[in-house]
Amino acid sequence: MNNLFQNSNNVGVAAQQAVLQNRVKVGVKGWQNATKQDLVSFVSRKTRIGIQDSYVEGNLVIGFVNSRNEASSLLNWNGVRFAGNALKFEILGDNVGLGGAPGTNNTIALLKAFLYKRYNPQAKMLDLGNLRNDPDLTANGLFSTTSTQSKMFPAMMKLASKEDQMVVESVNLSNNNLKDLNMISSLAQTYPNLKNLCLANNQISRFRALEVWKNKFKDLRELLMMNNPITTEPLYRSEIMRLFPKLIILDSVLLRDENKLQQIYSLPMKLQQFFFETNELGQSSIDFVSNFLNLWDTNRTQLMALYTPQSQFSVCIDSSVPSSSVPNSDQNPTFSYYLPLSRNLTKISSDKTKQQRLALGQEAIDKLFRSLPKTKHALQEQPLNYSLEAFSYPQVNGFIITLHGFFDESGAPEIDANKSTPNTSGNRNRRFNHGHGSSTNKLTKKSFDRTWVIVPNPGGVVVASDMLTIRPYADGSWLQAQAQPQAVSQPPIQSQQHPQSQPQVPLPNNPQSQLPNVIQPQIPGVAQTPVPNMPLQGSVGVPLLLPPEVQSKLSPVQLELLNRLHQQTRLNAEYTYMLADQSGWNFDVALKGFQDSVNNIPREAFI
Amino acid sequence: MNGQSQAAENFVKRIFTFLDETDSQQLAPLVQWFQPAGCKIIVNASAFPQPAGFLETWQRCVVQTQHVLTGVDFHVIPGTGSAVCSVNGKVRFDESGRDKAGQDAAVPAPAGAGVGPTGPAGKHRPLWGPYFGLSLQLVVDERALGGDFNGVISSFNYTMVYRPEDSLMVV
Repeated sequence: MNNLFQNSNNVGVAAQQAVLQNRVKVGVKGWQNATKQDLVSFVSRKTRIGIQDSYVEGNLVIGFVNSRNEASSLLNWNGVRFAGNALKFEILGDNVGLGGAPGTNNTIALLKAFLYKRYNPQAKMLDLGNLRNDPDLTANGLFSTTSTQSKMFPAMMKLASKEDQMVVESVNLSNNNLKDLNMISSLAQTYPNLKNLCLANNQISRFRALEVWKNKFKDLRELLMMNNPITTEPLYRSEIMRLFPKLIILDSVLLRDENKLQQIYSLPMKLQQFFFETNELGQSSIDFVSNFLNLWDTNRTQLMALYTPQSQFSVCIDSSVPSSSVPNSDQNPTFSYYLPLSRNLTKISSDKTKQQRLALGQEAIDKLFRSLPKTKHALQEQPLNYSLEAFSYPQVNGFIITLHGFFDESGAPEIDANKSTPNTSGNRNRRFNHGHGSSTNKLTKKSFDRTWVIVPNPGGVVVASDMLTIRPYADGSWLQAQAQPQAVSQPPIQSQQHPQSQPQVPLPNNPQSQLPNVIQPQIPGVAQTPVPNMPLQGSVGVPLLLPPEVQSKLSPVQLELLNRLHQQTRLNAEYTYMLADQSGWNFDVALKGFQDSVNNIPREAFI
Repeated sequence: MNGQSQAAENFVKRIFTFLDETDSQQLAPLVQWFQPAGCKIIVNASAFPQPAGFLETWQRCVVQTQHVLTGVDFHVIPGTGSAVCSVNGKVRFDESGRDKAGQDAAVPAPAGAGVGPTGPAGKHRPLWGPYFGLSLQLVVDERALGGDFNGVISSFNYTMVYRPEDSLMVV
């Protein structure tokens, strides 16, 4: 009895200690017009958070709250008015009552270590199977209550998304007793480009549960759902196909023809940043554009030398807002400086207006130039953000240059078109009589397309026509095309072999050791020829076969270049060599040359 | 002037209608609008030597599209009989997973795997994805602004300028 009493007493002390350990020290500023006690009661009333053991130190009230959570929610109340002042809360981290913050850090370190333990860099696979039986996690109590369980996975995903060196293409979540995706739904945010996913040996029984992942995982190629009640549903296959429009293999059975699928979901004309009809045109148009924009940003009047009395310039506003899923798109653009100048023929009906908004000759062009906001283009600093096409225009003996990109508005225009409307009736009939605040004139980033018709003349060049379209800012479509060259496509042959070889394989009892092979069928086939950083493209994954006498004359660098070219172009050995030779053994030049002339290359040049 | 700009707008709208066509018979007349010799077609910075080749690729390898016109402006270049037209628009794609002929990539369900997807019962309805931004520059014969569209297009520069991340299309 005595013993028991002793124990329970200890428990009580321990509990008290734990509470004290978790306390977080906070400070409050801006309370001076009242007493400390008033402040503490006010905070407790307002925020439902009690500040204990408070005392005054300088202009601060210092006290303790029960947990890190309470402390951070207190920060959300910053600025709340009390006794005529705005309060400011802060966490006084360092001399916290014995911990709290370290506890969180420990959990982070623990989860991070766990992630790395479960990550296989060769297979690019994160194995999160059977989490509840992991000794590290259970020993640290991460499965002790349902609430820690449900928080652990999102926390783990958040950590994983910050680990850049962890490249994950496959995730195993088998044997986790999952009934739905609530706990693991954040997987779609962390790994939107996941290729293989295993959910085998769970309790998922309803399509509704999968709905949160509809239209997510657009690159998901293979899904394993064996031993889930849902797989016996009559609509299982068609529902899964609907939820994952690009899924190729479901439970080791081929669902879609990968080649056909790729053809449907891609354009034969891949986006490129540049098009030049000839190489000389490339260099001269880049020179022209950079000089032009430089003066456009600094001294527009100097550009007048390029225009003749017959030259034309007009601005067209395309105010249609891009879809919010366009990266960095401006969802709330303002065009008030431009709208009175816009010659968007789909928007204006009056003949007179159409005529007025076309600037003809230097004087009119100069005036229109000065009516546009001052700008800063970043052609030198961020060349990737610009795309350019240039080709000849035989009717004028010149050429056309079109530039797509963005600029920053750096200042209001010299002439404000809103204020200079020729109108004798004074203020009464002015445009925007109501609610025309200056807030609509804010300066922002804009995207544009600009087309110049250039005619060479003895003294240099003349701009015959200059058309500028201004639209809400959005990242250029060619940008991502650069960052992620091509989704690595899987060899279609293997995907067809796969369903025949797999169904006999019994479900692994110990998925940790077996699943990498199951969900990554490509690994065994590729293992013999590891080619780092190189896309594997179906049948051309094999190195190029060159005649020995040719091969002996080539350096390893040249051989590597040939192989890369071969894989990208699918040209045969002879043509690959010709292409490389003609382009001076420069991969980019060769690839560009290939892309430019791909339509003229005979069929027999390809393997 | 008004007649000309009306004609320019109609011209572009009709080009878009042609491109959105799923029936190759309906698309074919567009070939006639391109200048028979030496016309330049550039799509996403890739060149096509012949309009017929471009339209065939468009018909065969691009799913159904829907173009919307958002901006047009043009300049007649004096003394050349030609005009430059700058067009902005939006385009979205049928992301239902079917090509223009209504074929999808599904392989037939193995026996006993439950009911497969329902066959192409009648005409399928497109499942429109999000809009891509579009910029198009045309060099046309001045005749086009008088409403005569035969053989008028001498250059056609079609570029997608922004793209939504949630589209299934790879461009």
